[in-house]
Amino acid sequence: MAESVFELFDEYAAAYARGERPRAHVYLERAGEGADELARLLEGYVQAALVPAPDEDTIALVGAWLEGQPPLVELRARRGLRVEDVVEALVKGLGLDGAKRAKVKSYYQRLEGGLLEPAGVAEKVWLVLGRLVPGAEEAAAWRPRQVEAADMFLRVSEAESAPALAAGRANPASEETEDEIDRLFLSGG
Amino acid sequence: MHHARDAEDKRLLETGEHKLLLSAYFDPVRERCFLRLRDRAAGEEAAQQVFVRLLEELRRGRTYPVPYRVVVWKVVEWTLGGFWHGAKDDATLPEDWDLAAPDAYAGWEADHDLALLFADLPPRERDVLDLRYREGLAPEQIAERLGMTRNAVDQALHRGHLKLRERFGG
Repeated sequence: MAESVFELFDEYAAAYARGERPRAHVYLERAGEGADELARLLEGYVQAALVPAPDEDTIALVGAWLEGQPPLVELRARRGLRVEDVVEALVKGLGLDGAKRAKVKSYYQRLEGGLLEPAGVAEKVWLVLGRLVPGAEEAAAWRPRQVEAADMFLRVSEAESAPALAAGRANPASEETEDEIDRLFLSGG
Repeated sequence: MHHARDAEDKRLLETGEHKLLLSAYFDPVRERCFLRLRDRAAGEEAAQQVFVRLLEELRRGRTYPVPYRVVVWKVVEWTLGGFWHGAKDDATLPEDWDLAAPDAYAGWEADHDLALLFADLPPRERDVLDLRYREGLAPEQIAERLGMTRNAVDQALHRGHLKLRERFGG
């Protein structure tokens, strides 16, 4: 059942004031038919409220982006995690075939490098990643600034054509047909 | 209300600490872009366009007669309004926007400062709204701090909400 716009606004604004980094999309989902009204109120609030002090992760993410480095790599490295650690967690957390670690690693590295469309990645992948690297989803959305238009085209093409990727066009390690891993990283699960 | 932020931004601009300067606006800009576009991917894309513009301006060493906060929100508004549609990343801000008069953005500020938005409410209600939406205190804490009943705090919050709804068309 949709919650009251006033209560949702009040909860978001107080959390924002405390520097807790609430996410508006979560509140709009809870608002049901009141989402439009809540969006206008929250936008008015955010533009008028005190700008909260950034946390260390935000500073690191922005710093990496300014230097043309992948923000997700920076957040992972700050937690002392290797790519293999993340891949292992993904394989276990998603219940994937351990023999396909190389394919998972290939997808994850492309996600880190800004060469995979984050919108195509399944929610359960973000849940596993978010437990290891909080803020992973937003960091992945901030692609490295040197990623050029040609790469962006590749990202869009891949998202629209999972079978083509599975056939090996951009991922030589992949199989002939689309499998669960392709779906988790390309078509939202 | 924004004096401390504005002073810190001025210092960061003067010392060239662009990472810290832009980091402060990372979440607010992303949230505003999402709230306007109502699509997370589009919001992130718009926010990145905002930061590319801001960064290009910083690298040019441009100075502004207004607080940096004003520049950030103006760039957000121009970006969301399609001002730069089809333009190159290094296109400059609108030239006619260079504000000479020190109070030239006063009207704009009225919608960008909670204290001004709530200015015509009774002082007691303003105190409640300040503690809730600037400090994030719980209603019970506000009631205790101000010596009010919980019901009076709730009523003040409700009036503040009506004020925002009236202003922003909720």
